[in-house]
Amino acid sequence: MFLTPETIAILILDCIFIVFAFFAFVISINIVKKWDLNSTSSLQYSLEKKAILAATIIKYIFVLKLPLFMFFVFTADKISGVITGAMCAAGVVNSVEFGLWLFVFKIINLFVFGFWIALHVKDMQDEKLSLTKLKFSIFLVAFLLLIIEIAYEISFFASLDVDKIVSCCGTLFSVASASSFSVIFMIPNNIIITIFYATFFLYLVSFFLKSELFFFFSNLVFFIVSIISLILFFCTYIYELPTHHCPFCFLQKEYHYVGYLLYVTLFIGTFSGISGSILSLLKPHHSKSYYKVSLFFNTLYTAIITAYPVVFYIKNGVWL
Amino acid sequence: MKINHYLIGFAVSSLFRRGTKSLFVLFIFTALIFLLSSILFISNSIKEELNLTLDSLPQIIVQKLQAGRQTNIELKRVNKLLEFQGVQSAVPRIWGYYYFEKAGVNFSLVGIDAYDKQYKNSFANIVKNVNFDALEKTSSMVVGQGVKKALSENYYKNYFNFIKPDGDFIKVPIASTFSSKTSLESNDIILMPRSLVLEIFGMDKTKATDIVLSVANPEEIPTIAKKIKNLYPDTRVITKSDLKVSYQNIFDYKSGMFLALFVISAFTFFMIIYDKASGLSSEEKKEIGILKALGWKIDDILQEKFYEAFIISFVAFISAIILSLFFVYTLEAPILKEIFIGYSRLKPSFDLPFILDVQTIFLLFFLTIPLYLAAIIIPSWRVASMDADEVMR
Repeated sequence: MFLTPETIAILILDCIFIVFAFFAFVISINIVKKWDLNSTSSLQYSLEKKAILAATIIKYIFVLKLPLFMFFVFTADKISGVITGAMCAAGVVNSVEFGLWLFVFKIINLFVFGFWIALHVKDMQDEKLSLTKLKFSIFLVAFLLLIIEIAYEISFFASLDVDKIVSCCGTLFSVASASSFSVIFMIPNNIIITIFYATFFLYLVSFFLKSELFFFFSNLVFFIVSIISLILFFCTYIYELPTHHCPFCFLQKEYHYVGYLLYVTLFIGTFSGISGSILSLLKPHHSKSYYKVSLFFNTLYTAIITAYPVVFYIKNGVWL
Repeated sequence: MKINHYLIGFAVSSLFRRGTKSLFVLFIFTALIFLLSSILFISNSIKEELNLTLDSLPQIIVQKLQAGRQTNIELKRVNKLLEFQGVQSAVPRIWGYYYFEKAGVNFSLVGIDAYDKQYKNSFANIVKNVNFDALEKTSSMVVGQGVKKALSENYYKNYFNFIKPDGDFIKVPIASTFSSKTSLESNDIILMPRSLVLEIFGMDKTKATDIVLSVANPEEIPTIAKKIKNLYPDTRVITKSDLKVSYQNIFDYKSGMFLALFVISAFTFFMIIYDKASGLSSEEKKEIGILKALGWKIDDILQEKFYEAFIISFVAFISAIILSLFFVYTLEAPILKEIFIGYSRLKPSFDLPFILDVQTIFLLFFLTIPLYLAAIIIPSWRVASMDADEVMR
């Protein structure tokens, strides 16, 4: 077990999350099974009260999960100083087989819980509470995802081995590596840039068409393509080093913590797009403000990420 | 989510109305955060101080082992080590601990030679500042602040009588004292000419305590370390990064141990808050009833309770951090510091360097405030969902 003050803090919070999420889970099962708004029984009355408790618990978990995710990355960065070979969070995360999965689940859970909150807010505005059954069925799934994530996290800290030599991000994110990343490194640069800007263009088109389904998919694709293009192309300009493809190193001080800005804008932009369009599909009278939020943050992300190669070209007169 | 100013105002006045109860919770919570943050601040500062020391340490230290214990190493080996490609210098060190019985402390005696390349920057400065030729001629010594104090308390103002292994005395005058930038490393040090140290310890003139190497290219350190190990299998080769990792581990372990204890007290705190928040006076019940009769929803009452909790935990958090900054950096952490520097009898009265990083603040935040909020979720919900007619009756 790898016990530093940071990991103990994360583990304590994980324990609190499990206990409280379990309460909410039990309440959710009851609601999904027995919810009937037209009934005047005392059961329905107590369910309505319990729904508020469950919602409060889920809000509590989500509000903490957001900063905790960044704290986790920060902690992994710090641990990299102790583990031989690791130079940033990438090495630490990959020193354990399922490290990448832990990360994937963390991101999925942020999206799922965030969407749940959006759904909840929508539901509370509706006096018929028509989304209540749906949102608690979604929580049943979210609970399982949360449990998987926490199980991964606990076994992650349990199996971190200080004496094991791990690969640094320089070898993990390269064509030569045998990791799961290597396949995408076959794509040449000009194709990935074309795909990225084409996706952004598609996203703009979907914004002006104001079609929810189209907007949903364009946001989803934009998120995935952004991450891939960031690893493949744009981050080499952040590092000003053509061989360095690590999506974690620019979270460090040397690059002015720019990674946090990039990831947060990308997350807000695509999240508000995805959750907003799903809500609109469910409730046609949903306010359209999410379009603007999504457009603002996604454009901001694209502007920042485009600035890196452009500034580099202006300074040096060549491309990397 | 909109922030309702009236609700915040209501929460504040509600806290004042239940003055003693809120004050009690505030006090316990502040004490808890204060203790925790003091420990983390101290551990961070000492770590920083040791890292400063670490930067001036040699890149490779070669020790000889015999029967699993460290013994003196032959001086002949220095030339062999210099033959390795990439080794810039190899300096034999002569040093050891001298136990001063009257004060019950250990001094670190370090032999230096003005003509050798100095392996430590701070020592190099001393050699420059102090007239070293005079030190050699008069066989005198330069002592650290802590040593000076321990000696003068025992009436050795200007000299000290060292006892050799054969029982003879050597009288060594004190030439000067030095205060290094980092007092943790130099507090118990005595610098004197090499020949004098050999005499005091009764050491063989053909041997040294250990050998330190400096390597031009840091990348080559692991390879050179491996080669030395192959040439002399009876040696222990310690590199700087080994030391760095073990330092970090020790300090993470020490603060980790403390945190493990903290978990217990945090749990107790959780129970206290849970209990406090559950037990309502009839006054408070009436209040909830009136609010509900006035048309407040469960959500409104919950929100007001959260504002109350947030105000309490935020005030406790800020005041605890300010208190512990004062305690650690102005008062020099009187009792708690001993946990971390318990090993040396010559207690170095060093200043803790001021370190305050965002990460520690975040760590403190995650360890305390979520706990408090978690403790009040269920009790507040129970309060908020009481029926108006039931509580007012």
